[in-house]
Amino acid sequence: MRFRLLVAIATCALGLAACRGEGSTAGCPSAEPAGTPIAAPVMAFLSAARALHHEADMHEKSGDAPGAIGALERLVALQAPQAAEVNEVLADAHARLAELRLGRGDLEGADRDVGAGLQRVQGPTYFRGHLLEVQGLVEEARAASLSDAGRADEAARARTRAMALLEEAVRTQEQVIEHALADGGQP
Amino acid sequence: MSRRSRLLGTLTAVGLCLPLTMCGAAANAPPAASPAGGAAPEMEESAPKAGAPAQPGYPSPPPPPGAQPSTPAATSSADLADAPQRRAAARAEMDRAQAAVEAAAGDCSAACRALASMERAADHLCDLGAGDPENQRRCDDARRRVTAARERIKSACGTCP
Repeated sequence: MRFRLLVAIATCALGLAACRGEGSTAGCPSAEPAGTPIAAPVMAFLSAARALHHEADMHEKSGDAPGAIGALERLVALQAPQAAEVNEVLADAHARLAELRLGRGDLEGADRDVGAGLQRVQGPTYFRGHLLEVQGLVEEARAASLSDAGRADEAARARTRAMALLEEAVRTQEQVIEHALADGGQP
Repeated sequence: MSRRSRLLGTLTAVGLCLPLTMCGAAANAPPAASPAGGAAPEMEESAPKAGAPAQPGYPSPPPPPGAQPSTPAATSSADLADAPQRRAAARAEMDRAQAAVEAAAGDCSAACRALASMERAADHLCDLGAGDPENQRRCDDARRRVTAARERIKSACGTCP
């Protein structure tokens, strides 16, 4: 899914570039009064991000989680131009990193990535909702770990946090769906 | 109007635009012999007449009563002169329709992706809350929201992949 998202963004960016290169601007988003051309640094970033997600996919397919984490760490360390698309790609990469770290039991690392991702996206967006979902899973795993260690009170608090985060994720995605399908949200 | 209806409407618009574009291209092409002799006169009928500027993409109104019928040569010249503009207008309309189709499909795709995240979150929430009445209420509330969202998407987009 992330790869498809990046493909869509990159295709959009490349499409815009091709559109501008044709000489005619008819039908190009950038020809619209409110349109904003995608800058070359943004396109370069999106292209690099796509390649690194692809690399992470290949590592994951071969069972090499550290390799996938390494590719995504390079992604989030890229010089990031200021653009909404870039923030969404970074938030998505942090969510994927957090899931990979969670799978390896690195709860603190997963926490850090969720926090970094949440700083990139404000308001009810899919990316924010997904990060909240992953954060809920991190707290759920923490609760299980604490419970296994016999720390019942701490486990209960972690479970309470997990439930609150998962509820917030549900509400956020609910808003995302409402907005996506609202008549007022039509371009 | 549902999103699906809008999508169908937009697809219809695209479908209507395509023949216009092809029509424009044909008008711009050098005249060719028509075996049945039917195609060329049809093109001429829709060509703009003097004093009645044509709307891009629409047939021209009939000539006013008493107006001199234009000669085939004059009509052909007007056709050739206006064809690029008509073709450009049809292309622009088709681009707009295509953008609308893509936007509608993109909205449905985004909604489906959000629904999947919503379902996962609700599943975990319910697992965590099992056995406690207050937590069960929270689980039920989340499930209700998921069901409502799924129905909303189904009515607007159909089922998610």
